[in-house]
Amino acid sequence: MSLPTISRVPASGLLRSIRDLRWLLRSIAPLATPRRALTQMGYRRPGQPREDKPPWWRVKFDLSKGLKGMKRHFTLLKEEFFAQFIGPMGKPIIEHMLEQNQVLWEFRGPHSLQEWTISCDREIGGKSEIYLKVGRNNETCLLYGTLCSDPPKDGETRYSGYCTMRAKQPLASFDRKRYHDWSSFNTLHLRIRGDGRPWMINVIAETYYTHQKDDMYSYFLYTRGGPYWQDVKIPFSKFFLAHRGRVQDDQHELWLDKINAIGFTLGDKADGPFQLEIDFIGVCKDYAHTEDFAYEKYKRNPEV
Amino acid sequence: CFCCLRGNNNCAEPGCSVLRQFRCSPASAKSQPEHVRFVNDNDTKKTKSLVTQEDLFEQVAKESKTKATFNQVIDVFTKRDIRRRGHVEFIYAALKKMPEFGVERDLTVYNKLLDVFPKEVFVPRNFIQRMFNHYPRQQECGVQVLEQMESYGIMPNIETKVLLVQIFGEKSHPIRKYQRIMYWFPKFKHVNPFPIPQPLPEDAVDLAVLSLTRIANDLDAKTTVYQLPFTDITESGEEISFPHIVGIQSPNQMELLAKHNPNRPVFVEGPFPLWLKKTCVYYYILRADPTPPEEKEEEVYDPERCFYYPLQLDLDLDRDLGDEENFDVDDLDEGPVFAMCMTSRGDQTTLNQWISGLQQNNPILGRIPTLFRLDAGTRELEGVADTEAGHSHRPHPQSQREDGPPAEDPEVAVEEEKPRRSQGMKQ
Repeated sequence: MSLPTISRVPASGLLRSIRDLRWLLRSIAPLATPRRALTQMGYRRPGQPREDKPPWWRVKFDLSKGLKGMKRHFTLLKEEFFAQFIGPMGKPIIEHMLEQNQVLWEFRGPHSLQEWTISCDREIGGKSEIYLKVGRNNETCLLYGTLCSDPPKDGETRYSGYCTMRAKQPLASFDRKRYHDWSSFNTLHLRIRGDGRPWMINVIAETYYTHQKDDMYSYFLYTRGGPYWQDVKIPFSKFFLAHRGRVQDDQHELWLDKINAIGFTLGDKADGPFQLEIDFIGVCKDYAHTEDFAYEKYKRNPEV
Repeated sequence: CFCCLRGNNNCAEPGCSVLRQFRCSPASAKSQPEHVRFVNDNDTKKTKSLVTQEDLFEQVAKESKTKATFNQVIDVFTKRDIRRRGHVEFIYAALKKMPEFGVERDLTVYNKLLDVFPKEVFVPRNFIQRMFNHYPRQQECGVQVLEQMESYGIMPNIETKVLLVQIFGEKSHPIRKYQRIMYWFPKFKHVNPFPIPQPLPEDAVDLAVLSLTRIANDLDAKTTVYQLPFTDITESGEEISFPHIVGIQSPNQMELLAKHNPNRPVFVEGPFPLWLKKTCVYYYILRADPTPPEEKEEEVYDPERCFYYPLQLDLDLDRDLGDEENFDVDDLDEGPVFAMCMTSRGDQTTLNQWISGLQQNNPILGRIPTLFRLDAGTRELEGVADTEAGHSHRPHPQSQREDGPPAEDPEVAVEEEKPRRSQGMKQ
């Protein structure tokens, strides 16, 4: 949503135009799946003009939205305050210590879609499409679309054709970042029904330095296809470190105490429609799995 | 021998008869220098226009695009100039033209392309050269060759490594990339729990059998070929081709179908897509809605069925939170799937043939009303809530269909939606 170009308008006129736009915005379906607009102002497609708008123009001033937001934030704050008295992470300590399974995301109803963001290579000028909707009976979610690996003709991009779904960062009150803590688990468990395509699961952990921003721990998710559900168990020791899609040389295991998000990517170069149905995503503790890390850690200057 | 690989032209080792040309690899010395056509050599000397390295490929492409012609072009370039001027651009052009000539998955062609680089020129000779990214354009070109190999999933071999060491030296970027490929590729080669045989069977019936056994999720399932593809000539002289019909059913599914209540209909749904590497095939299923809770009957285990161990145990285990192994989600009950089939033409008549073929092993199918729900586009299994008197309209972004009322026939109730797009099997 970009404001129309108003070059020199007095402040009252600006607010008036914003109020007019608000009525326009209301007519759009409220529960649409969130998409990333312009990759959150990080990537600018080659050839696109730069946006010279001051940053406050992007904020939409709305009283009812503000009041709803305040109510939500204070409710969350109250819940957090009283959760401390129940135990760590809001659960009794005996549950936190002993639990073997935890369901993180289960797709029951349209509200569960609000926690996910979908994106495809349309952002960089490609031709893929992706949609996310609730499955029939409100019991699963269906991620579907079309993949097209023709690279966009901008002279820079060489490969294209990807579709992703990524969980949003969990937020505490007042939009503070909250992290998943999976330190008592060691396996990721998914129940999915795919169409035979190989997907990639990415786990994004919290990092300290800014140049670690695009660090992702990835592993493959091979679907069998067919009408039967597939239970996939991936131990966290199998995830390898990649930065912007390039597998890194010095590998270390995924630290589970501060996880930001999880995501699914499709990038096999088979053009055509795809679909993936997810029932739930959970983590569990597999006592039989004792491996720390599946790959060798970094050795500088290996022999040729 | 190793000493020849290292660079000795005159090898003192007994029995070593490899003679290397100066700054060439032994590999090229093995092959006889072929008589190469010098393509348009005289013409280019007359007209002084800008000629790109791709022109060589384009001239050859007018005739035929095969591996042999591609190799010929590389030979023309290498024989043209001992100093290999413009080899970086030539290699980039060759990498771009490889898919057109169909050689992108051929390791020998990549090795031959790496052979275009002059040897030993780009190897750093002292510590300053090693520090400062010696010959960066050539190193980047070598890395791009390896990157194209990596993106097509081709594993390099020892010849690649020897070539890279001779060209760039031991601690160069292409060698590091080669080491990365050699580390990660073997780790991820067999990581697929449902491997697909490469190459895929070309025969449609074999492909159908392969994909059905893949999705059946049961090792006891049996595939049956109900009809092989054949063409028939009718009286008027027209040729009608009949598609193949391959079905699969496991003993568990047969039991479930035998227990199905004949008053409730079964549905033939499809086509659902199944991807095998880059091929998409479509399958159809025969399923029923889950039985409502009031009609569910408890299965009574007959204790005489098995004398070795009891089939039902009534133990009071002391399990607490630490032993809870199931996730706290509701079990999805989507209804049993009775059989699956694959056919190249998914219309009413073919699927009817499949059902009548199934009927031979499952006589109850004769009494159950069968409804057909054939649709185009991405699909998921239909839900319980959608089936009341008719089929409710499921909003679909690509095509919208209207549903007609189902006919209530005791035998085979036909209720067909015209597919929007043709149901060809996309190979």
